[in-house]
Amino acid sequence: MKVYITGAATTKFGELWATSPRRLAGEAVGGALKDAGIGIRRVDALFVGNMLSGMLGGQEHLGAFFAEELGITAPAFKIEGACASGGLALHNAVNSVLSGQYDTVVVLGVEKMTDHKPEDVAIALMGAGSEEERVSGVTFPGLYAILARAHMREYGTTREQLAAVAVKNHYHASLNPNAQFHTTVTIEQVVRSSRIADPLRLLDCSPISDGAAALVITSKKLGVQILASSVATDTLGLAQRKSLTELKATQEAVKKAYTLAGVKPKDIDVAEVHDCFTIAEILAMEDLGFFAKGKAAGAIAAGETKLGASGHLVVNPSGGLKGCGHPVGATGVKQIVELVDQLRGRAGARQIKGAKIGLAHNVGGSGATAVVHILKK
Amino acid sequence: MVGIVSYGTYIPVYRIKLADVASAWEKDPQEVVHSLGIEEKAVPGTDEDAVTIALEAAFNSLTAFRGKPTDIDALFVGSESHPYAVNPTSTIVGELLGVGHNYLAADMEFACKAGSAGMQAIAGLISAGQVHHGMAIGADTARSKPHDELEYTSAAAGAAYLMGAKQLIAKLLAYTSYSSDTPDFWRRDGIRYPSHAGRFTGEPGYFAHVVGAGTRLLTTSHMKPEDFDYCVFHMPNGKFPRDVARRLGFSKEQLSTSLTVDHIGNPYSASSMLGLAAVLDIAKPGEKIFMASYGSGAGSDAFAWETTSLLPRVQKIRERCQELVTQEILKKQYVNYVEYLKKTHKI
Amino acid sequence: MSEAVEQPPWYIFSKNNMNSPVKIWRNQKYIATMLGREGNIVSWTIIRVPPAGFSNLAPYPVVIVDLVGGERITAQLVDWREEDLTEGRRVKVVVRRIREPTTEGVIPYGVKVKPV
Repeated sequence: MKVYITGAATTKFGELWATSPRRLAGEAVGGALKDAGIGIRRVDALFVGNMLSGMLGGQEHLGAFFAEELGITAPAFKIEGACASGGLALHNAVNSVLSGQYDTVVVLGVEKMTDHKPEDVAIALMGAGSEEERVSGVTFPGLYAILARAHMREYGTTREQLAAVAVKNHYHASLNPNAQFHTTVTIEQVVRSSRIADPLRLLDCSPISDGAAALVITSKKLGVQILASSVATDTLGLAQRKSLTELKATQEAVKKAYTLAGVKPKDIDVAEVHDCFTIAEILAMEDLGFFAKGKAAGAIAAGETKLGASGHLVVNPSGGLKGCGHPVGATGVKQIVELVDQLRGRAGARQIKGAKIGLAHNVGGSGATAVVHILKK
Repeated sequence: MVGIVSYGTYIPVYRIKLADVASAWEKDPQEVVHSLGIEEKAVPGTDEDAVTIALEAAFNSLTAFRGKPTDIDALFVGSESHPYAVNPTSTIVGELLGVGHNYLAADMEFACKAGSAGMQAIAGLISAGQVHHGMAIGADTARSKPHDELEYTSAAAGAAYLMGAKQLIAKLLAYTSYSSDTPDFWRRDGIRYPSHAGRFTGEPGYFAHVVGAGTRLLTTSHMKPEDFDYCVFHMPNGKFPRDVARRLGFSKEQLSTSLTVDHIGNPYSASSMLGLAAVLDIAKPGEKIFMASYGSGAGSDAFAWETTSLLPRVQKIRERCQELVTQEILKKQYVNYVEYLKKTHKI
Repeated sequence: MSEAVEQPPWYIFSKNNMNSPVKIWRNQKYIATMLGREGNIVSWTIIRVPPAGFSNLAPYPVVIVDLVGGERITAQLVDWREEDLTEGRRVKVVVRRIREPTTEGVIPYGVKVKPV
């Protein structure tokens, strides 16, 4: 596909009390434009990925909102797909460039979550699930806890193996200046952290965060190439899925992506996957074809996907959602920024030597939307 | 002839021991239990209310009914804890039961006799031929102020009676009612807890009206206490029903089956109706049951029932479904005083 | 008198979503058809950190149930004990308050399940 990423930047992710969504956007877009070496006037369209601006902030119409903030009158759109909003915004941006209607577009993923109490954020996030799930009082940790229990029952995945995902991603995050967390954690600490939704504990769960990330996408052959941008959907609610031990939307999206890109799982050098909860990374490793069903947990626990390990594939070098933070609409875009940094050799202490092909995996809800991007140096 | 076609009951699973309530207030548990004659009471779940309890009792009453919910032409719910001051409990229950739209719905209030008042009103509609099947429900999540005496006895439960003119499991031989303006126990609109006049609720309240209605029923129906196999009274505590039974000339044996209060306390509008169900659960065909409810404010509804040969079939169905009063009493989970306060929304 | 809960700061959600009288009215038929249906627990979790509006009920289990008749649903489990959280446990649908209503709003009733 003739579409390229010429600029990529993120803000710091974390509890950014003093930083408004406007400031976040300005910082991320400014950084991406500078990276691309162009001015804002060159931008033909703006794609904004965000989930909660309406429910939490009372502000919809984000396309116009951020266009005004950036001082442009170009076409602007808010794209929403729960936690996959960022990935979907990129997907739509890619399509707009491939269509020939726009030449250079900006993708902005932005989310402000810390202005409200955690219990209010929790209920707003349940907008990503089904009505039946909202009525039951389940939360996102609860839904993924059900997935964890099913996986542990089916494949013998252990409590410690879940914890190993958090340990790895915190280690990676400690090397990422923009990450929310810089402290490392141990298996023991994860397993003993406070109970959220049995069997998941506090340190199995990605945090509530603020942050923004931006990309400049163009048809001109400059920078990292996007080989594939694929999306698939599945039922909103877990109860309506065919299986509780896999996310079919991920499998469908990645299958299309591998075909489009002409690559196989073994060709991927670096992957940023959707670890909203520790179990989600295990599921992703299997659904993306990196490990056979039931084999991913053991491999992760053995350190096969860690920076500096013997394995070929490094997963979530940014720290993932768990270590880097998860401002929901920004995550899908941040994953791409990390891959761009890796492929362009500017990932600093997190650099994976010789990374040529990267994969980003972004999920909405408990697996109702999945977006996969494959990038090439 | 009017009577009961089928019936259903529901008691929430939670229980608190009176001794635990007493200990919270540093009272002598033995003394409290002894003076009230009750060991423990039923506590509603946090998410239960008069609507959900009425619905569950009503749903259970349809298990043995050979007809359809749409055969119900009238549905009255009596309670002192209707969740809305304006918006009928009866239509929420009717809608979720699938009764359709062609029925008379009404909410009743008369302290603990709101449900039995509904039974008499429905009996009248059936006798007049206006209604073929009518359901009268008594359901409450009874309220009491912490540290007040009522805290030991106020409970939660529901009982639903589907009445009609055909296929009766119990015939309504006679009924009467005795009413006066006696302010022994009341709750103002918008106020959370009821108030009462202490010992005034006894003689001028409970006893005057139950004896009044009971005596009148015996006189007008030309019956004597010995003619009955069972008697049922409103049960605000363990002592009053035993006392009034004796005063009216009934024996301990006639009363004992109905004493649900000993196990679950006083579920206000469901009290005497649940006592009646406990009797119906074990009565044989051709037996007579005397029943008198009591509602503060005040009044008493008295009934004389006679069971028929159609009763055993309903008993067997209730037993198979684990819905007998004795079976529901045994489905219990104890809570401590703090959990009790949470479930009754006091904290 | 209903017990009041503090209204969350975002007006749209609390007023118009769970407690919309029109939505509640539209959902009655669904609830009526579910009442009394039985099924078996497939999987579960216990919610210990509840979302806004559910704090008075926590901790509570949420279960996935395979209903007799083929459907699978997600629902809150009530009247439960630890030993009820096993695969295959028989449950039945009951109607309960979904969560505490706001001071002046309509009371939301909905589908939950309890062990049989």
